[in-house]
Amino acid sequence: MTTIQPTPEQAQAFMGRANDTPVAMVNLLKFKETATYEAGTPEAAENMSGWEAYQRYGAAVSSLLNDIGAKTLYAGPTNGMMIGEGDWDMVAIVEYKNRASMMAMGTSEAYQAIHYHREAGLAHQLLIDTTSLPLPDVGNL
Amino acid sequence: MPAFQPTADQFRAFRDDPYDGPIAQVNLLKFKVKAAYQPDEPEHGTEETGEAAYQRYADAFGVAAAETGGTCLLMGTAERYFIGQGDWDAVMVMHFPNRKAFIATLNHDSYQDMHRHRDAGLLAQELITTRPSIPE
Repeated sequence: MTTIQPTPEQAQAFMGRANDTPVAMVNLLKFKETATYEAGTPEAAENMSGWEAYQRYGAAVSSLLNDIGAKTLYAGPTNGMMIGEGDWDMVAIVEYKNRASMMAMGTSEAYQAIHYHREAGLAHQLLIDTTSLPLPDVGNL
Repeated sequence: MPAFQPTADQFRAFRDDPYDGPIAQVNLLKFKVKAAYQPDEPEHGTEETGEAAYQRYADAFGVAAAETGGTCLLMGTAERYFIGQGDWDAVMVMHFPNRKAFIATLNHDSYQDMHRHRDAGLLAQELITTRPSIPE
């Protein structure tokens, strides 16, 4: 499986949903062993891993997320699989104010300009559109 | 192969990992359509969903986890897959100060009682242990 983009049907279905509520997007990420920057680009000479290329994407996208009021709820590299046999390198969860703000960011020029780092580093991913339930009430911690 | 519990090797690898810093446990969850309580349980025969049964477990687990410094970062219902194909119903992320705190939650006095709700509601899951880089 080599998916890194939504199908047209997936993009359409995403936008067809109610659009005025926050959405938590859960990224399960698998990186390439070696980054695949285009030959001749400055990055190609750096011999980066896929992980390193994706970190560049992550750093650049975080300021775009900031601009639209989205928030990284969580991000962390995998330390091990405790149940099941999945093969993910990292999990990242971003909360957007609504779906339209995510789509607007994803189609902006600023995003297109940094996207090559993602393409260079990412082997494949799952992106799950989730709606948060109230968290368990355990008092103030 | 759908999984429900850690294998003995997975549990040992988790317990014996020398890394002692914070972890976040990322649960990918698939529920039974209908809860499957045992005949001797009070909930047996009700028309509850597996998700409702699991939610009882999640609530109780959150309370026990809080005693060890654990917090829930996300309990999200999967609406659809925006990229890729998958079949998980929900994602639950729990943050712990270290792996001992997670094991202490599994050994909490209340765990045996809450666990039957997990058995009743959960069909399969994956559990990915991660090291938080955000939030710090």
